[in-house]
Formats: sequence, structure tokens, C-alpha cells
Amino acid sequence: MNFMGSNKELLLVHAEMPRQFLSHDVNVMLTPQYYTLKREDIPVKYLYQAKKIAPSLFEGLLEEVGEYSYLVYKEEEQWIFIAYNLGQIRSLLLSKGIQPEKVSKIFFAQQAVDAFTAPMFLGEKEALVVMENTVVVVPRQALKEETKPLTFDDSFTPKTGISIGGGVQGSLLDVTQAALLSTLFILFAAIFFVEGSRYTNSSSEIEEEMQMLLEDHPILQSKIQRESVAQKYTHIETKEKQKRETIKRVSKLIFKGSTLISLTVQDKGFKALFSYTDDAVLKRLQVLAKDEKFAKVKVLNGKKVQIEGAL
Amino acid sequence: MNLKKYQNELAVLLSLLLLMGAFLYKNIKVSSSTKEASSLQHSVDEFKEIIALKRVWADKGLPKKITALKNTIPAAKVTWSKKGKKLTAVYAGLSATELNRLIMKVMNLAVQIQFLDIQKSGSSYHVELKCKW
Repeated sequence: MNFMGSNKELLLVHAEMPRQFLSHDVNVMLTPQYYTLKREDIPVKYLYQAKKIAPSLFEGLLEEVGEYSYLVYKEEEQWIFIAYNLGQIRSLLLSKGIQPEKVSKIFFAQQAVDAFTAPMFLGEKEALVVMENTVVVVPRQALKEETKPLTFDDSFTPKTGISIGGGVQGSLLDVTQAALLSTLFILFAAIFFVEGSRYTNSSSEIEEEMQMLLEDHPILQSKIQRESVAQKYTHIETKEKQKRETIKRVSKLIFKGSTLISLTVQDKGFKALFSYTDDAVLKRLQVLAKDEKFAKVKVLNGKKVQIEGAL
Repeated sequence: MNLKKYQNELAVLLSLLLLMGAFLYKNIKVSSSTKEASSLQHSVDEFKEIIALKRVWADKGLPKKITALKNTIPAAKVTWSKKGKKLTAVYAGLSATELNRLIMKVMNLAVQIQFLDIQKSGSSYHVELKCKW
């Protein structure tokens, strides 16, 4: 049982494979006719380094048709390089009745070299055998007649395979593009999430200030009390400001020739009485009263002017 | 429709939806947080205003300050009657300068003027002041 790999059915694709009629997703394993293998003993330590040099190893070996990709892995002390052409593989699969979108993973027979403990027949003419640790196709005639062949099943599924997803026909994006875009979007999403969660604590300073105020003024802890106190003192403030402002405004009407005879200020209003010396002073007094927006200005007998107003 | 054919696009679409969700989440958080902070700040400002108003109009040091209304004018010209938090003061024979000084003092003290009457009599002034605090 293969715990690491896929649990999907594994099909061995070879030249004599009959046409398939699939209703479910499968994994496929390709026989050596459909890939090019190189085994190299090169002094590189890391996989990315080996992958980098893979194209140069196959220079002149591959048909110059389509684009090649490379599967690289280490087998004991040697690096295994497998060159494959996804376009050709797709065509092969289609020719066998396998829709590429039904294929989850593609494996190469070489990856399961250890599983080929005996020859495996590929139809009437060919067989898969392992020679010098490499899976190869040989004519069945080359095998001894009493050879007991292996039966191919899902246990041949290697741990890693390649995905045909990037090359699915009709798809607008390949795997790399999709991965890049998805990573970018997820990264930005994470940034937005972090930013959003940080905003939750932005008002904590104001909350602390409010808490301190409440502690210093316990009598104002209830909102009703606060409103009541605010109403009381706002009313006093407004009223008293009006009274003081009125006294200031009245005092502006005192000038040479205009004398304040009396001024009474109460809660409801005020009354001021001025005396003036001549008509010019009266005119100026009236203009000033108008400037100060005193509505009730009454000229009285005896060269007097009375100004009244409400508060 | 075969979804597998579009699995790459689906993956991108899902991550895009996640991005949009996160953006929306951030915007909602920012908006609600700003609203909450603004409302809280308004409450704090109101609170401070109440305290300031109370400090002015319920000043505990006012009984002492009120004596300035008596001391600023020669005692012979003042009739002073202070009962609890209420004051009735009558000033007679004030000069224009004394009147100005007295009125300035009254205006600068946080007392509630209930009645202020200024009467000119010849060259002097007669003032009656009733206030509370």
C-alpha cells in the first residue's frame, strides 16, 4: 500500500496499450519510449543545482520539437535526469483515449525501478525489464519462455510525479502562473487581515483616558448624571456669558456726549438709559446701537435714549 | 463542465476571493474602529467640558475670591450682605473709575448675576448687585 503517494488507479501507458474509456481520474506511468533518461555522477549537492544543468546534459539528444521539461532526483549516489515533452505526452494520452484532465499525476517507469523485480509484458511483442538498474523495453522474444511476468498494479506508484495541470488544454494559466498569482493574493490577504486585526486596538488609548476620567470623577460615572450636570452648567455658562457680553456691548455706547444714566441687568433682560448732548451724538448713538444689534432703541424726551433687550 | 480543466484558474479565483474578503474585513474594521474611536473621543471631550464647566461655575475657592468685590471699594461706600452662597452688595457714591473697577471684577468672577443695577446720580454712581454661586 502506498501511503505517501496517490490512491488513484495507476495505468501503465505503452505503445500497445488499448484505447481507454475512463470515467474517473487516474495516475499514469510512462514506459521508456516516452522519456529520455540520463544517469550522471556529477559533483552537485543540491537538487536545484542539478535541475539547472539538466538542459545542457540533453543537448543534441532530444528531438527539437516542442518544449522539454526535466524531472531530476537522486538514486543512491547518482543523479537521474528524465527529459520529457508534455506536448507529446498529452498527444500520447489522447491517442490512448485518456483525457489529460483525467490525469492527476504522471510517473516514469524508471521511478519505480525497484518494483520491477521481474520482467513485465507490454502486450504481445514487448516487455519491461531492468538492466543495469535502468528500466528498458525489450522484445518479449529476448526473454526466456518460462519467465513469470509481473502484474502491474497501484503498488508501482512512486512517491513523486509530475502534474499535467500546467498544460491542460483550454486552461488560461499554467501551474507556475497560478501559483505565483495565488501566493501574491494570499500574501496581500494576510497583510489585510493583520492590518484589520490591529485596528481593533486603536481606540484603547482613548478608552484608558476615559477610564482615568471616570476614576477621578466618580460622581460623573453615570451618563444620566453627566447629562444632568452638563445641562445645568451649560445653561449657567450661556446665560452668564450673555449678561457679561451685554454689559460690554452697552459700554461701547459710552463716548463723548453720550452718558450712561442707568443700566439694569437681570436674568430675563436688560435696560439701559443714555443721555446725549446733541443730534449728532444721537445719530452716532443710534448707529452704534444698530451695530451692536440692539433691537429696541427708543428716543425719549429730554435728550435721552432707552435701549432694551432680552437675554 | 469539467472543473479540473480549470483548476489553475479556480485556485487563482479562490485566492482572489480570499484577498477581497480580507480587504473587506480590513475596511470594515477600519471603518468601525474609526467610528468607535470617534464616538469615544466625543465622550471624552464632553466629559472634559463638563469638568471644565464644573470647575468654573462650582469653584470651591469662590467664597474667598468674592471678597474682592468688597475690598476693591472703600468700605464706607459698601453695604455687604452675604448669606450662604448668595450676595447682596450695595455701593453708593462710586466714581467712574471705581465703577469700572467694580464692574470688571464682577465680570471676571464666576458668579451668577441675578440683578445688577447702575444708577448715575450727579457725578457719582449707585450700584446694587445680587449674585449667587
